[in-house]
Amino acid sequence: MAKSTVTLETPPELVRPPLVNNDRSIHWVTQNVSDIVESRTPKWWFLSICITSPIALMGLVCIIYQISNGVGVWGENHPNGWAWDITNFVFWIGIGHAGTLISAVLFLTRQKWRTSINRAAEAMTLFAVVCAGIFPAIHVGRVWYAWFLAPVPNTNAIWPNFRSPLLWDVFAVSTYFSVSVLFWYVGLIPDLATLRDRAKSKLARMLYGIGALGWRGGNRQWRHYEMAYLLLAGLSTPLVLSVHSIVSFDFATSIMPGWHTTIFPPYFVAGAIFGGFAMVLTIMLPASRIFPQLGDMITREHVDKMAKIILLTGSIVGYAYLMELFVAWYSGNKFEGFTFFTARANVDGKGWYQWSYWIMMFCNVISPQIFWFKSMRRNYIVVFIVSQFVNVGMWFERFTIIVTSLAQDFLPSSWGKYSPSTTEILTFVGTFGIFLTLFLLFMRFLPMIAISEVKGVTPEADPHHHHPKH
Amino acid sequence: MSKRIFQHPAEAQTGKRYWRSLGQLKDTPEFRGWLQREFPQGASELDSSDVSRRGFLQYMGASVALAGLSLASCRRPLKNLVPFTKAVEWSVPGKALFFTSMMPGRNGGMPLVVTTFDGRPTKIEGNPNHPVNKGATDVWAQSSVLDLYDPQRSRDVLLDGKKSDFASFEKELEAILKAAGDGAGLAFLSDGIVSPTRDRLRREVLKKFPKAKWAAYDPNGNPLERAAAEAAFGAGHEVVPRLDRADIVLTVDRDILGVEGDIASVRGFAARRKVDGPKARMNRLYVVENRYTLTGGMSDHRLRLAASRSGAFLKALAKEVAKLSGEQSLGALAGELKASEFKFKDRWVEECAADLWANKGKALVLTGSKQPAAVQALAIAINSALGALGKTLEVRKSNAMPSDSIESLAVELRKGKTAALFILGGNPVFNAPADLRWAEAQAAVKTVVHLSIEKNETSAKAQWHVPAAHYLEQWDDSFASDGSYVVGQPVILPLYMGINANELLARVAGVDAEPLGLVQKTFSDAAGGKLEPASWAKTLKAGYSAGSQAKPLAVGLSAETLSKLVSEAAPVRLPDGEFELVFIADSKVDDGRYANNGWLQELPDPVTKLTWDNAALVSPATAKKLGVETGDVVRITAGDKSVEIAALILPGHADDSVSVALGYGRSEVGSVGKGVGVDVFGLVTSSEGRFRVGVKLAKTGKRHALAVTQEHGALEGRGADITRQATVAEWQEHSEDKDFFKKMGIDAHAPPNFSLYTHPKLDDVHAWGMTVDLNSCIGCAACMTACQAENNIPIVGKEQVLNGREMHWMRTDRYFASEQGAEDEPEMVSQPMMCQQCENAPCETVCPVNATVHSEDGLNVMAYNRCIGTRYCANNCPFKVRRFNFFDYNQRSITELYRWNLISEKGTPETIQMQKNPNVTVRMRGVMEKCTFCVQRIQEAKIAAKVHAKDSGVQPRVPADAFTSACAQVCPTDAIVFGDIRNPESRVSKLKEEQRGYRLLEYLNTENRVWYLARIRNPNPKMPDASRAGAASRDAHGHPAGHGASNGGHA
Repeated sequence: MAKSTVTLETPPELVRPPLVNNDRSIHWVTQNVSDIVESRTPKWWFLSICITSPIALMGLVCIIYQISNGVGVWGENHPNGWAWDITNFVFWIGIGHAGTLISAVLFLTRQKWRTSINRAAEAMTLFAVVCAGIFPAIHVGRVWYAWFLAPVPNTNAIWPNFRSPLLWDVFAVSTYFSVSVLFWYVGLIPDLATLRDRAKSKLARMLYGIGALGWRGGNRQWRHYEMAYLLLAGLSTPLVLSVHSIVSFDFATSIMPGWHTTIFPPYFVAGAIFGGFAMVLTIMLPASRIFPQLGDMITREHVDKMAKIILLTGSIVGYAYLMELFVAWYSGNKFEGFTFFTARANVDGKGWYQWSYWIMMFCNVISPQIFWFKSMRRNYIVVFIVSQFVNVGMWFERFTIIVTSLAQDFLPSSWGKYSPSTTEILTFVGTFGIFLTLFLLFMRFLPMIAISEVKGVTPEADPHHHHPKH
Repeated sequence: MSKRIFQHPAEAQTGKRYWRSLGQLKDTPEFRGWLQREFPQGASELDSSDVSRRGFLQYMGASVALAGLSLASCRRPLKNLVPFTKAVEWSVPGKALFFTSMMPGRNGGMPLVVTTFDGRPTKIEGNPNHPVNKGATDVWAQSSVLDLYDPQRSRDVLLDGKKSDFASFEKELEAILKAAGDGAGLAFLSDGIVSPTRDRLRREVLKKFPKAKWAAYDPNGNPLERAAAEAAFGAGHEVVPRLDRADIVLTVDRDILGVEGDIASVRGFAARRKVDGPKARMNRLYVVENRYTLTGGMSDHRLRLAASRSGAFLKALAKEVAKLSGEQSLGALAGELKASEFKFKDRWVEECAADLWANKGKALVLTGSKQPAAVQALAIAINSALGALGKTLEVRKSNAMPSDSIESLAVELRKGKTAALFILGGNPVFNAPADLRWAEAQAAVKTVVHLSIEKNETSAKAQWHVPAAHYLEQWDDSFASDGSYVVGQPVILPLYMGINANELLARVAGVDAEPLGLVQKTFSDAAGGKLEPASWAKTLKAGYSAGSQAKPLAVGLSAETLSKLVSEAAPVRLPDGEFELVFIADSKVDDGRYANNGWLQELPDPVTKLTWDNAALVSPATAKKLGVETGDVVRITAGDKSVEIAALILPGHADDSVSVALGYGRSEVGSVGKGVGVDVFGLVTSSEGRFRVGVKLAKTGKRHALAVTQEHGALEGRGADITRQATVAEWQEHSEDKDFFKKMGIDAHAPPNFSLYTHPKLDDVHAWGMTVDLNSCIGCAACMTACQAENNIPIVGKEQVLNGREMHWMRTDRYFASEQGAEDEPEMVSQPMMCQQCENAPCETVCPVNATVHSEDGLNVMAYNRCIGTRYCANNCPFKVRRFNFFDYNQRSITELYRWNLISEKGTPETIQMQKNPNVTVRMRGVMEKCTFCVQRIQEAKIAAKVHAKDSGVQPRVPADAFTSACAQVCPTDAIVFGDIRNPESRVSKLKEEQRGYRLLEYLNTENRVWYLARIRNPNPKMPDASRAGAASRDAHGHPAGHGASNGGHA
């Protein structure tokens, strides 16, 4: 080229790293993702499901025992009316935030790197919401009357109490679940059609065919599909913010010191994204090891970006923690001050649950700070370990909020400690069984990666595609 | 099926005779036969051989219904059990009927009014007509109705532990009496209950068997007080404290407001604690005790002192009083004090004595049942010097007939010459002093007959066990604590064929054993020989004989016998480095007699808050010395015996002293009391009395879980928010400041409340509210038991209490507070806590299903049917007064809660069902519940008002104070007042306007309907510890409570 021509080359430091490594072709993507579903079931899968499904079953048995005997088989008491039940609920519902955030918010903001992880993240969301939904349902004293929560017109003209945040919760979570299912399913349609077309057995062809709803990949179909997907993304985006805001209202609208905090909605949303991404990484990192062919689609770039989000949201959460302490001091309210400085931080040795608070502080605020270093963000082992810290930390955050506020509130006479019962612990463990079993089934029978979307971001799909200089 | 024959009651002898038919009037055989036929109309049909299919099914259905529903299935009818074929006008199904009755006890009979529904007693109230009770009762009276229905009560006559029957017993009794001759081989051991009928029958028995022995034993009685009184005033005299007349009271090791007092004392004391303004005069209470008691909790000055040093304290006091009064004899009586005896602060004694002396004639010194007779005599001498006799300390003729002691009876029995021993109630095998080895002594008797309401340790060691009637089942009489004659009227036929002591004695004496006749004879004897039906009816209606109160006597002190008693007594000394062991009468199970009562077992001890256990109470310093924490098992060794029992650290306990409640660790008892606590009667000796010195304590390394309902007793600097108080001086200083008590703690700084939300108007003609006077509440917890009985509150068992799941709708919070550096001398405050019925209730907004809502008359109501049990309401309650049914406590045994619901047994024993208040829902599992302000009583009153108003056009309105809640009704100090705050005539609307009135956590804007009236302390400014009074309501920095008092500047 002549020297006088203006070079349009992007400077190397601004070159976007490719979203699919090794210059893979469109066919390669189809082949490798479908292969996971189509090849013979690997031994590790059988082994895994043989572990997770009995755990799920155990959880189920605990739930049946609890329902038949009463909430008393758990450790809740007066004054701790809630403890592990709602902790687990908020923990799981928080995890369920990452999927929708990745698929909806990142879609609207044109973050194309989302494509290789959105399917699995969304599936994870759904399964987490399933696990989350168990707890509010079974934690009530009389499960068989849980339908009182539904606004069913009746002759007594008794309605649910629309002032109660718990009722808002019911609406928020069920809306979130239904929209998420719809969104996830709509995204699946083209890929189900791919699997249908590739299926060798009649049964598989029929089942995938039903799921694919007659998808032929025509131009009009794509047009409608993309419009629907966009609309659903638009619908889901406010839900990402609303669900956890409303969950936080359960606490924020109450009058308990430690709950009655206006900072809760943004703090809870940030915390949910924080915890959700940690769980995505917890699942995706081992998956990309088990299926090496996915390594070209789930790259270090993805891990790096997710680690950055964890760092950001973790810092927001940390700011919220510190702001709570500041407000507790600044308000001059002795009950608030007691809850934060004594019951939680335990500065004077009279608190009971300081270990929970400091585990939360370390895991959620300190441990993600390592992601300021790029090398750490790109180190799978470090990222995996920090993700585990975050998972633990986020559980303890909810435990701290719920139990420390209840155990030591206004009148010292009513203070009481809480410790979980075996049934309660096993029920929580059981939900992990349910979660993992569902995820294993998902991995086995549905495309883990959105084939059609990843194809759209391969170098080959770029209309301005040219091979970069080697 | 044999037909039951009903013995119809004889017609009343007075008044007009009403007759149903000419047949009845003539009393023809045909009419009698007609009466015998239960179902006259259909009977012939059943008798004929060809019963129609339809008819057969009808009869079958009816019999099934009767078998399941009627009471007939749980007892055999004795007599006069006639179903109403036609309703009588005074019995309306679902409407309560009230009968006067009486509960016998060691302090005399407690006059009662018993609520019955359809023939079953459900609730007990004090007799409002009686001048002592005025409607109040105590925890034992409240829970006695549960004893009546205890399904494990003794049901059968037992011979050597095997089921027998009354006929065989009667045969045996006849044989014994025939062989008894002059009665030299007969002995009786009574439980010490005073009943004129029993005494009359006792005299009859002794007339027939002049050589028979009669002893009485009550483990928690106070024979030494009687000994001291008799030494001072001559045989047959007793002393009665009049706290209502005393300005200055000093108690030395006497829980006069708790287990060593009665309602008369409590009421008398509380009367002097009612203050309507800063100028009101109130009494002052000095307390010297080894452990915190309810009395100590009410004290203005408290000195913790080992029980064994009480004698020395009284000697020092006597010396001071002698110095002030110039009475040489009193000084001489006190004798020389050795320096080693002097373990208390000089100034405390000096100033206390000076205060007592300055209030001569209005001062009172009391000492308790644990102290030797000499110490009690010394207290009488001091009272005499203080001019108390006839004023604050009355002398009167004792109603109790003198009896032998159990010690002398044991000696007698060991001689082996006793053919028959009748034990009338009581449980000496369990609770006689260990050195008597009573079981052995009893074994030397040929035939032991034990009359008891339960099968206990003594029944197991007796040949014959005869089931006793509960006091609600049989006629009895007694004297109330003011000496007035009270009649115990049965309100239900004996459930298990029990007989009472009067019947048994009558059989022994060979007189007609008809229980009503026995009591009526005593009544008529007292009235001059002839039964006046009108006066009998009047007595029954009133519940007591008006004007029969005991008259105080003006008896002079016989100084000689008194000083002989004092000087001959060997002084008790507690050497340094040794422990003393104090046996305390339990506030719940008494001497073990109530061990099978679940309400009492689950009732938290008013001071320790311990349920389902007894414990070794030690001071924090002693615990540190021993290296034990609450729950560590310690071994107490006294003499050659030892017991292992869990320690419980009690602030304010005397060092080097350990207190243990008696009455636990029963072995032969129903399932409720089994395995509860540790039996320490084994360490009690008859010679050393109720405390022993030279006891060793050692840590064992074992742990025992103690179910304490209040884990946290410190106020955490929240005294000014929760339990507000001031001293008399502080109050007088702020007498003009209306907000003095309202602006304390956080409320002193909080901006005014406002609401963004428009609340529905509470515009009913009524507005229910409550006041709780912390100045007169002693924390006795009678309200808790009354609430439990009234509102069908289940018990949950020790395991669940450990888990924090007790169901009491109201609790009495007990706090200890002290100034920094004075942690050894804490102050105690009791505070009854129930639903505050917030107008702006945090629980209501959060319930997702509208199960808790507000009524127009201001109640925060619960719709159990609607509740799904999210527990959100309980979480959002700032007072944590909501109670959740974690299990089906009403349907399942408390030992089987964790068994799979499908395989564990369900259902409530039929008798327990009979106790339930039919106007209150029995809640199922998974449902939230809480104090309702006794909404059933409110509704009943409103309906009555409506019926009264009828069509008059007047808006029905319940008259002021026409009824009250269960807790307010039972309260012996009138601390709780309930009523209509919209009615300016009502007591509550006046009380809540008092300067002392405040509401809890006002800054939350919950608009509570319960007002607390701040506590006033009345310290003697000259006392060394005067500045400490009121510590509980100062904040952590030691600032005085009142906002204006210290930080008025920066408001």
